[in-house]
Amino acid sequence: MTDKTITPREITFRVRRYDPDVDTVPHFDEYRMHVHDGMTVLEALHQIKAEKEPTLAWRSSCRMGVCGSCGMFINHLPMLACQTQVLHLDSDVVTIAPLPNYENVKDLVPNLEPLIEKHAAIKPFIIHTNSKEIDEPTGEFLQSVKERESISQFTHCIKCGLCLAACPTVATDPLFLGPQALAQAYRYTADNRDCGLHGRLEAIDIFHGPYQCHLAGACSQACPKGVDPAFAIQLLKRTLVLDSIGFGKKKSSLAKVMPLADVVKAIEEFAPPPRTVK
Amino acid sequence: MRETRLWSLHILVLPIIAVLLGAHFAVMHYAPVFYGMSVEKAREFSTMIERGKSITQLVLYILLLAAGLYHGMYGVRGIIRELPLTPTLAKLVDVGIIAFGLFIFALGTYVTWWTYSYKIGG
Amino acid sequence: MNSNKPTAYNNRLGIKGWVYAGNYTFERYLYIGHRLSGLGLIAYMVLHIVETANRMRGEEAWQGLMALFASPPFKIIEYLLFAMAVFHAMNGVRLIITELGFFLGKPKEPVYPYSSSIKRHRPLTFVIMGLAFLIIILGGSSLFFP
Repeated sequence: MTDKTITPREITFRVRRYDPDVDTVPHFDEYRMHVHDGMTVLEALHQIKAEKEPTLAWRSSCRMGVCGSCGMFINHLPMLACQTQVLHLDSDVVTIAPLPNYENVKDLVPNLEPLIEKHAAIKPFIIHTNSKEIDEPTGEFLQSVKERESISQFTHCIKCGLCLAACPTVATDPLFLGPQALAQAYRYTADNRDCGLHGRLEAIDIFHGPYQCHLAGACSQACPKGVDPAFAIQLLKRTLVLDSIGFGKKKSSLAKVMPLADVVKAIEEFAPPPRTVK
Repeated sequence: MRETRLWSLHILVLPIIAVLLGAHFAVMHYAPVFYGMSVEKAREFSTMIERGKSITQLVLYILLLAAGLYHGMYGVRGIIRELPLTPTLAKLVDVGIIAFGLFIFALGTYVTWWTYSYKIGG
Repeated sequence: MNSNKPTAYNNRLGIKGWVYAGNYTFERYLYIGHRLSGLGLIAYMVLHIVETANRMRGEEAWQGLMALFASPPFKIIEYLLFAMAVFHAMNGVRLIITELGFFLGKPKEPVYPYSSSIKRHRPLTFVIMGLAFLIIILGGSSLFFP
């Protein structure tokens, strides 16, 4: 960051307001205040609420980029308010609006219900076929480091919904599953312990599925956790195409099971990593 | 597997389009380079009819028509159906696109056949 | 149901979300270009099929049409079509490669600053777009000066 971007100064916040009881269309209110180095947009909103506008509404919780509640449209890009520093935006006017492509409930609060519904639709859990092992487990399912690495990136999704706000297809298509759900569909399908591709086809191999992704890349740009949903969607397309011509990965049975006795032995042999803090 | 098949097909027709459209360009726009014939001459009625008398040309043009229209109509369907439509309207769009594509294909095929069976001086 | 229940505001961007790329990445602009050029090309293809059907009205009708297409405005339209076709084809090559999961790198732990598949395949994007630009310029010169 250049020095200019961390010089504390007066910044104008243009905050979009909407009260469903009073307004029919949203409008912008402006608040001017002093911003210090390191101040996040979320902190600025708190200060505005405390000092200038007590009725201002938004949603936030953890204030450290983990809960995914404070997604907002900041200077025309979807970002988490808690991990966006105001001065790093390098702009004397900061525009804050609710995430687009969702219903706007009040001020900066989007209704994330469609996100959760689409996430649930793709069966975001490991689907087993070996019910005997599930009912009477004899050990633990094995997953190698390599197998884990192939999906690990996509497991970091915090369901903040920024990707859907960035996606051009979601801009018009309310039925499009969207980057979040499709990336999760890949995350579970590619898991070596999962045998659920065919169980998910009804939900994902549809018009409003992965093929409405045209690789605009906006979701991957917006993702605050580096999940790269666009990547997962392209890999999902490959998985589906290979499966449709009979070249899909054969996962007819579960991952190898490590007997419980071996699990206990492995835990006993496991050496903890060296201490990093004295 | 429905959408995957439709999408895969719209990719699979691309080599056909690339080769045949390339040939079409060569004949129509690069005639001076490939045939030592001026572009005006290449577009003359008599030249066109003469070209159209070949069975290879007839088959290849129909193939190009089918491949190009499938790829294009799949794309248009994708764009229109990304709009917020009711299920009935979405179905109508699908049917409409198929009907329109088939109509244009039939027209193109008929014209190509007409050229193939054209009697010179008759 | 309470009829006075406050209603949420529909914040969906609509078609503006397709055509306005704002601060998003280069690929988002390519997405718009691919869509517009695709629409232009299929519209042309349909018109082209209808227009060449005019041959059935005889030699005079055909020659008249060809003379019209040889006029300068149509030359410019023809060049635009050529440019659209080249862009659509070249960007299409990039899309086929990447949409089948190639050239995007491997999934890896997201460590800040994040690298994305979009950034990883950008060299390919630039090479392909550079080639498209060259073809449009070179191909155009032969269209204008045959």
